[in-house]
This record gives sequence, C-alpha cells and structure tokens, in this order.
Amino acid sequence: MAEALIEVQNLNAGYGGIPVVRGLNIHVNPGEVVALLGPNGAGKTTTLLTISGILKPVSGNINVLGSSTLGERPEKISRRGLAHVAEDRSLFFDLTVQENLRLGLTPDRNKRAEAMESALEMFPALRPLVDRRAGLLSGGEQQMLAMARGLASNPKVLLVDEMSLGLAPIIVERMLPIVREIANSTGTGVLMVEQHVGLALSVADRGYVMAHGELTMEGTAKELQANRALLEASYLGGGH
Amino acid sequence: MSALLETYDLTVSYGGLHANSNVNIKVEKGKLTGLIGPNGAGKTTFIDAITGFTNVSSGRAEFCGQDLVGSSPAERSRSGLVRTFQSLELFEDLTVWDNLIVMAETTHWWSFLADIIRPRRKVGVEDQAEWALELLGLTDLKDRLTLDLSHGQRKLVSVARGLAARPELLLLDEPAAGLDTVESQQLGSHLREILNRDITLFLIDHDMGLVLSVCDYIYVLDFGKIIAEGTPEEVRKNPEVIKAYLGETAGEIQAQEGAAARQQGGI
Amino acid sequence: MKEALLYSIMGLGAGGFFALMAMGIVTAYKGSGVINFSHGAIAMYVAFQFFYLRNEGIFHFPWFDILPTKTLNLPVRMSLNNGVGINVWFAMLLSMATALLLGAGIHYLVFKPLRNAAPLGKVIGAIGVMTYLLGLASLQFGAIIPNPEAVLFPRGTFKNFLGLGGQVSHESLAFAGLAIVIGAGVWWFYKSSRAGLATRAAAGNEKGAVLLGYSPDRLALYNWMLAAALAGVVGIFSGTITGSLGVGKFTGLIVPALGAALIGGMSSIPLAVAGGLIIGMLQNFTGTWMTSQSWFPTWGQSGIREAVPLIIIVLVLFTRGKSLPVRGNIEEKRLPLAPYPKRVGIYVAVFVPLGFVFAAGLPGDWGWAGLTGPWGFHFSVTLVAAMFGLSMVLLSGYVGQISLVQITLSGIAAFVTARLVSKGGNRSAEFDPFAVEGPGWPWPLASIVGVAVAVIVGMLLAIPALRIRGVQLAVVTIAASISIYTLYFENSELTALQGGSAYIFPAPTFFGVNMGSTSSSGLTDSPRFALFALVVLAGLCVFVANIRRGSSGRRFLAVRANERAAASAGIDVPKTKILAFGLASAIAGVAGIMTAYQIGQTAATSYEYGIGLSALAFLYLGGITSINGAILGGIIAGGGIVAYFGTWHSPGLFNYTAIMGGLGMILTAIIHPAGQASIFQPLVQHLGGWLMKARGTAWLNSLKRYGPFIVLGAIWGVIGINPWRTDDYSRFWMALTGVFLVFFVRSIVVQIRAARAVKAAQDAELKKFLAEMEAAK
Repeated sequence: MAEALIEVQNLNAGYGGIPVVRGLNIHVNPGEVVALLGPNGAGKTTTLLTISGILKPVSGNINVLGSSTLGERPEKISRRGLAHVAEDRSLFFDLTVQENLRLGLTPDRNKRAEAMESALEMFPALRPLVDRRAGLLSGGEQQMLAMARGLASNPKVLLVDEMSLGLAPIIVERMLPIVREIANSTGTGVLMVEQHVGLALSVADRGYVMAHGELTMEGTAKELQANRALLEASYLGGGH
Repeated sequence: MSALLETYDLTVSYGGLHANSNVNIKVEKGKLTGLIGPNGAGKTTFIDAITGFTNVSSGRAEFCGQDLVGSSPAERSRSGLVRTFQSLELFEDLTVWDNLIVMAETTHWWSFLADIIRPRRKVGVEDQAEWALELLGLTDLKDRLTLDLSHGQRKLVSVARGLAARPELLLLDEPAAGLDTVESQQLGSHLREILNRDITLFLIDHDMGLVLSVCDYIYVLDFGKIIAEGTPEEVRKNPEVIKAYLGETAGEIQAQEGAAARQQGGI
Repeated sequence: MKEALLYSIMGLGAGGFFALMAMGIVTAYKGSGVINFSHGAIAMYVAFQFFYLRNEGIFHFPWFDILPTKTLNLPVRMSLNNGVGINVWFAMLLSMATALLLGAGIHYLVFKPLRNAAPLGKVIGAIGVMTYLLGLASLQFGAIIPNPEAVLFPRGTFKNFLGLGGQVSHESLAFAGLAIVIGAGVWWFYKSSRAGLATRAAAGNEKGAVLLGYSPDRLALYNWMLAAALAGVVGIFSGTITGSLGVGKFTGLIVPALGAALIGGMSSIPLAVAGGLIIGMLQNFTGTWMTSQSWFPTWGQSGIREAVPLIIIVLVLFTRGKSLPVRGNIEEKRLPLAPYPKRVGIYVAVFVPLGFVFAAGLPGDWGWAGLTGPWGFHFSVTLVAAMFGLSMVLLSGYVGQISLVQITLSGIAAFVTARLVSKGGNRSAEFDPFAVEGPGWPWPLASIVGVAVAVIVGMLLAIPALRIRGVQLAVVTIAASISIYTLYFENSELTALQGGSAYIFPAPTFFGVNMGSTSSSGLTDSPRFALFALVVLAGLCVFVANIRRGSSGRRFLAVRANERAAASAGIDVPKTKILAFGLASAIAGVAGIMTAYQIGQTAATSYEYGIGLSALAFLYLGGITSINGAILGGIIAGGGIVAYFGTWHSPGLFNYTAIMGGLGMILTAIIHPAGQASIFQPLVQHLGGWLMKARGTAWLNSLKRYGPFIVLGAIWGVIGINPWRTDDYSRFWMALTGVFLVFFVRSIVVQIRAARAVKAAQDAELKKFLAEMEAAK
C-alpha cells in the first residue's frame, strides 16, 4: 500500500481547550474516497478543520503528505496541495465566479489556464455565470463553485465538508460522481463529511462513523452498508 | 389544552432562499415540545423568528393569543417568551449571579437615579435567581465570572439565566451541544424538573437521544419544512425522519448499492 | 450659476487631495480592517521628510533617540549633501522609501500584534501611531513651513477658465488628474492582480483565503505598504494645495477623506476617488460661494465647510451602516474586564483626606527633596483629567461605545456656562472680565444648565450609535468633534468672541470663600481649587462606581458583552446606550467646566479633538475599564503630576510626552489592554492590608525578598540612568526610578510565570480529563 496522504494519529481536538474530538485515528490513501459519517455534533467538521490547520489540535498528530502539520499555519498546509471545501463554502461573495476560481488556481503559472478550463469543464453550469458575483448564485451553484475552486488547485488531498448541506438531492447525486472520478483519475485522496449516508457510501471506498467525538465504526463501504442497523442507531441516539 | 405558542404558515426567506417555509407549530402549556432536524434544516432560524431576531417574510406567530408581529426581541422577552442561544452568549464580564439578575430584574427609566444613591439595593427578584441556581445546582458558582467556568457549567448557566426570568415559555437552542452523554442525560432530568414548575419548554437539539427521551411531542424540520410530527415513538419510526437524517430509505439504499457496484466496476 | 460652478471647480485640487487620502484609508481597511486615523500623520511626516531632503539634504529617521545615555546614541538624522538640497527625484525616491518603511513598520509593530484585538484596541493602535508621528514630527521638524513649493506641477492659472470668468490654478487641476490616474492604478491592482484579488477575498472571507493558501498577514503587509505609499504621494505632491505645512495639518483633513472613503463603502476605489473630488467641490461651493450670498445666515459662515463631510459621513453610515464590510476575524478578543468597585466608602475615606494633605497641607513649595514649582497647578490638572477620563470609562469602558466626541461635549458645557455667567457689555476684553454680554447667572446655576446642554447634545449624538457600532462610531464622533469645533467654538458669530480670544471665567466661590485656581501670585496654582476639584472628582468617582454596581451597570456590561443576548434578556439596547451617552456627557460636561475653572478661561483650543485624543491615550494607558484607570490616566496626563516631576528633572522631557504617550498606547493595546491600573490596584490593596497586619518577621521576610531588587535598582539607577542627567536632584530621583524600573521588569517576569503556571495547570487538567475518558471506556 502506498503511503497515506492523510494520517490522523490519536487526535484530540476542539475549541478553547475543550476536546470535541477524542482519540481519533483515521487515514486516507491516494486515489481513495473516504466518507466521515455521524450525527450532527459528532465532531466531523472539527476533524476537517483541524486537519487543514484552522484549529490547533489539543494533542495527537496529523501527517499530511508524509510530514506533520503541527505548528504549521493553515495557508502553509494548503500550499502543500491540500484543498478544503468548507461547510460554509467560504466563497468570496464580492468577487465574480471567475475571480473566485482564479484565486483557487494552482501556484504553477503554466498550468493555470488548463486548470481553469478543466474546472469549468467539470461544472459546465458555471460557464455562463463566470462574470456573476458569487454572492448572487443559488445554493447549488455556490456549492459547485466551491468544489470547482477546490479542484482548480489540482490538489493531492481534498477535504469536502457537507457537500449536500441545503442542496436538493438531485444536485448532490450529480456532484458525488465527480469526486469519485477525480480520485480515480488523478490519485487525489478525498476525505468527505456527508449527511447522506447512502449516497456517500455509494461512491466511497471506506467509511468512518463518529459519535460524540469518538470513532464508533469503521470499514469498507460495503461493510458499513451491511451494518445498517448499527449505523442508524448511532444516528438516532439509540446507542447510549 | 390551550396553545401557548402557535405559528401559522411561518416563512422566513433570505434572498430567495426559504430558511423556513410554512411552518405550523403548536406549543401547549405545560408540555415539553421538541424540534429536531439535520444540520442546516432551519431550526435556529425558527427560534430567531419567534423571538424577533430575524424578520418573518410571511405567516405569523401568536404567543398567549397575542400576535407577535412588530414587537422587539426585548419586548417579547419581557412578555415571557425567553430563549437561550446555541452559542450561549453569556455576559462574560458579569458574575453568574449578575447574569441571572440582569435577566430577572425589571428596570425603569429612572433606575439609574436609584443606582446613584443605593446601587446594591434589593431589586426584588433575588428569590427567582436563587431558585434557578438551586434547580440547576449552580448555587456554589454564584459569585464566579462566567468566563472562568467550564463548558458544561456555562451551558447550565445559560439555561438558569433563561429560567431566572420566570418565563411562560423557554426556548432552548441546542442546550446539549458539546455535552458528553452523562451530562446530557443530567440535563434531560433537569428539564423535566423545570416542567414541573409551570414553565413550558421548547427544545431544539441535534442529540436525538435526549430529544426522544424527554419530549412529549416532536416536530421534525428538514429543508425548512415540517416533514413529520408526533410522539417520540411515532417520530422514531417515521421513514421520512430516517430519510432526512440518513439521506434515504432502506429501499433506496439497495438501489444505490447496485449503482455503486456498477460504477466502481466500470472504471 | 456660472460662479457657483466656477467655485466648485476651484475645489477640485482639495478634492484630489481627499481622493488620494481616501484611497489610502480604503486600502488599509481592505488589508487589515483598521480605520487608519493616522493616515494624515503619515502623509505629514513624508511631506516634512521630502521638504528637508529637497531643501537641506537632510534625511530623518522615523524614530527618536530612545537610549537614555549621553555617550551611546541612536542616529536620528543624516545629512546627505552638506546642508544643500538634493535632486528632487532622489528626494522623492527617499521620501517614498520612508513611506514604505512606515507602512511596513506599522504593520509589523502595531497591527499585526493587534490582529485579533477588540475594535477599541485597533482604534487605540491607530491613534497611538498618529500621536507618535505627531510627537516625532514636532521633535524633529517643529517649525511650520509657510509656503511649501509645488512639485513638478505646472505653475500658473487659467485666466478665464472655460469662460466662467475666474481663475483656476493649473496645479489644482493637475492634482485632481493625478488622483484619478493613481486611482485607476489602484483600481487595476484590486481588480486584476493576484495579490489585489486575494486582498478582496480575505476581506470578505478570511477563512476562505487561508484555506486557499493565502496568508492574511502577508496581504495586510502589502496593503499597509500601498496605503503608506499613497500617503507619501499626498505628502510629496500636495504642495500649495493645502497651504502651509505644519505638524497637525493633514490630521484634521482626515475627516473629509473618511467621508470619501465611506462614500466608496470602504471598499470601492473609483467611488472613493469620486467621493473625494465631490467633497472637495462641495466644500468650496458651500464654504466659498454659498457663504458669500446675501441669504446665507452669518452664524453659519464659519465651519460650514467642515460640516459638509460630517453630513456625508452621518448620511452614509445612517443609510448603509449595516452594509459596510465588517471584517470577520477568526477570533476576536473582548474588551478587558470592567472590575466591580469594592469598598468604595473606604477608598473615599482614605484618599480624599490624603488628597487634601497633598493639595492643601503642602502648598506652593515643598520643603523637602527639592519639590518646587507650581505643584497646585499640576495636581489640579491631574484631578480634572481624571474627571474627563471617567466619562470615557463609563461610555467606552462599560458600554463599549468608542466615542471621540467627549472633549467637544466638555467644551459645549464650558462655553454655555461661560456665556451664562457673563454680564458684561460691549467693552474690550482687556479691561473687563465680562467682555461678552450675558444674563450674569450665579455659577452653580449656569454650570447645571451647561451640563444639561452637553447632555442633550450627547444624547442627540447617540442616535447614530444606535445603528452603527465599533469603529464606525469612532468615525462619526471624530467627525462631529471636528465639525462642532469649527461650527461653534471657533465661530465668533455664535460665541460673540473676537478672533481667538477666550471667555473669562470668574472664580467659583462658596459662601464668599474664593475657590478659584488663581493664587496670589497670579498663576493658576492655588491649592484651594485643588480642594474643590478633589471633592468634585470624589463625587464623580462615587457616581460612576454606583452606576457600575447597580442595575444600570449590569445592563451596560450586558450590552457591551453581547447586544443580542441583552435584547433577549429584555434589555432595551437603544435606550441603554442613550442613557450611557447621557451620563457620560454629564461627566464630560462637569470636566469641561472644571477645566475652564482650572485655566481661568474658556478657549476653543482647550476642547480641540486632539486634546481629547491625547486624554484618551493616557486614559487607555491607565486602564479604560476602571475608575482607577481614569485616576491613573489623570496622573500621567500631559501637565499632570508625572509631568510635574518630569519637567522638573529634565526640562526638555515634555517634548517627548506625545511620543511616549503614543508608544505607551500601542504597547498597552498589544500587551495589556486592561491598562496599568489593573497592575497597581492589587499592589496598593495588598500593601494596605499588609501594612495593617505585618509584624517584625514579616518585615524581615519581605526585606529578604525585595531587598536585593531595591539595592540592584538603586545602583542601576545611579550608574545606568544617571548619565542622562547629572545634576544633584537626579542622584536621589534616578535611584528611585531605577528601583521602580527593576520592580516593573520583575512584575512582568512574575506575570509571565503566573500565566505559564495557569497554562500548565490547564494542561494537567486536560490530561486528567482525557485519562478519565480513557478509563471510562
């Protein structure tokens, strides 16, 4: 097995010294789509924010692309080749779609035009909107822009947080296969937090389930789907 | 049974996006009513709309038979409709005691004149504050700054602050967020106690365990719409609810599995 | 009509100036979310730098010789060409380099450390930079340069411009053109360059920019350097447009520039440029054309020019205050705690008699240790400054409203009072104290009415505060302060005072006893007035302490902590703010009247906005959230007790007051926002308790503990600091200074250690918690 792109080791993380995530161990390999599942408040978003360096871990270690991110500022971690499509999408509302994409482009000058083109190819719906301000887009278009911007940097690691939040299922069904395709074609490792368990597991290779800040289940997508009852219990609170 | 709070087709939109659409909810006096739903379903928007922190686009809400339209958050609070915040929003520079007193006391335009002469006079609401502290077991923390308390304690202070007003209806916004399993169970038992003291509760939480175990009646919100309502048992078994939380029903899952297998095989 | 148009066009030069300034303000705001009140000061510094390079070939470094020694000195200036001016292009290059250096310095030393500070901290940082630069400039350049030359711009005028029948100078049109050209360049930068785009991105969503790999710090640095460069352009090219070049010149012109920046919504460069040009034209139109018309009221002729930007600012903030970009930092610190005043009665019982001893018991000359001079004067200044500080403690410290207009309210109270007590006729001021006609009311009644008027004006000014908050309120209030100054204080039509003269204030009397500040020597150093002021200050302290301790204080702090939660607690936030403004205005009014009694007269210059800013500086140093902070602020205020000791030791020391005040402000904002009072208060309390209880062994123990530091400090003071001053007095005082400094350093070390211990304890607790979690599993 190739070296893992993301390796989270015994992570405790949270806000203001209060751990929301406790003792977490997960990893993502190249070309792999990994789903991070669990009910609201389980600590999934916290985990992603800690991986991308926005939050400092309380203890434990995170390796991204082979070296630790401890003490590294988030912009430095991002420049290693990590893209994070955040839960709030973090779009620049005052900038146009094109400007948003430009800011996401890879640092490599020669590949920028190509990356822009391929981002628009993946989300053709954005093409007629390039000169519109991002703040004026619909929810689905904003999510597409966030994804396109994340992919425009040709990332080696992609974190996607709640892609389906507030979106009609039909849009989600269209976007998830894109994630799969990216992983397959470029070897990008994807870690995605998703509410739609079925949809997420339909494209993922493996999955982790968290509840109350801890890992409760893990396994391949098939294994998790087979254990549907347990999965539901951890969502609907029957577990404790 | 009379409805303490009732909404009629309450709709809140932000620039074309319906955060709440045609929500009809009835909170009965003396009952613990719950509102659940996945992240981003519009639960907090609903509380904001009821308490006047966000503008209602259409529809209306009645509290104690009075239309709420046009009154400020402060006026609603004084009329007995009190809320807590998911982010707590405590008054961090004040002691726990003063946090409660601020909530409980009634002031007049001339109160500052009285302050100049006798700042530490009794304001007549000390009993209320004492009672709220005692109920939640916070009496020992009375003189501490809220800044210095642990997260769990701060959560309880925010509930106590709401109680100190002796509200008709207390709206609790995610009181269990960030609590561990034991703490959230304790909170649940506190809530039942509060209910026995003639304060009606409305609970929003994502901890399904807590909501299903303590509430009398539950509404489920998804995409800003009420998709189900009923007793905890009814809600637990409702396929719509399972779908909202997990994405789709068991039948669809099988179809998805097939699709996934095909896709993975195909590439 | 032709004439009106002509006058508007004549305002284009000033308009270009405002446009360039506005661009700089917008740039700094985009990059760091700071409203840069020091922008004019940067332009001023570069203007002087350029002038001296061009005319005398001297390069000044933007710092002063901070080393307190005679032998080892920091270089502060460099002569490049033996006193002869250098090539104008080279001078320009060096001046722009100075601007860039200032921009980078301001970023790294001030606003980077203040990145997560509360809005008040950032305002203080900007005012600190301004105070520092003003102090530095008066130290290095000092004199006013009456007629700076235009640079590279065509001289001369169009005799009959566009057939409008009047002259328009080439320079003013060229300057407006320059503003437009540079504006286009800056606009392009934000539109098309990657750094510019990223700046706009980070201003809208900092987290998003970070996640894409952009460093907000680096972007802020670029923008600060660009902003400073724009200020440099203003400094170099403004030439004759703004008239004579003085230290305070550009700082006052920040208000129209802020107006223009606000027209651009603090983000649009083209709109800011247009806004600047329009304000320049409108000012000239109203100030020169309208006032010359027969229908224009004579009382409005002075100051209408300054009112234009104020009206624009209020309108913009009122209509779109909420749509202005507010930079959301990932983490923002709160204001420091506002301590609950304990044992107010004991404090009054101890310190008022002690103050009496200081004020009355040791009048005029002190017999020991060489304390001579106008002690009574400095003591009174301290007391009055503390009163003024209390008004800001209540409003900014307790309710979190950043108001810079308090000094103006003081002035209003004093001016109204002065008018009401006077009873003179149309006689000359030299012979009659009551030169101005008035009803001749007794002073207590007149004072009450004066304070009441200040309260009314203060509450009116509070209305904008209901819609806007934080730093925007600072913008409105500083604009109001400058406008009211010219509209009322300097307006001879309204004050009935001729050309800069002052109202004469008769001394207050109690049952025939004169409590005025003028002593038999004719100086304002009478200890009797100090007694009077002491009683008033004590009264105000109890007033503020009681407000803080009562229901109003609870509501104030609730509003300060969280307006949403306050509303949910049934607090009427607008009413609470208006109440706070009213109370603070009352205190400011009292302070203003006491200032007038202390000086013996009321002149406009005592209530200028700069005086208010420096008072704020010293208050912030003392601690803006506590009563003790106000008192400490008074002690260190300009002309206060510390200044008394300072001037007495080193006659030139007052030259450094502004610089040290500015630096102190910045340092306080960064390191210790709660102010120095929060350090001294426990010290005094412990010392008091200790003195009551301590016995022999306790004395011995503390001697062992602190003795070495005292000896070390005393020796260091004599050997290390003494070379600065070598007269006899210093032998005694420098040793004390040394002891003080050593203890200061020690207290910092102790604080750091304590903080570390707290951190370690937290870590241990966390580990324990995690272990328990582990065990529970």
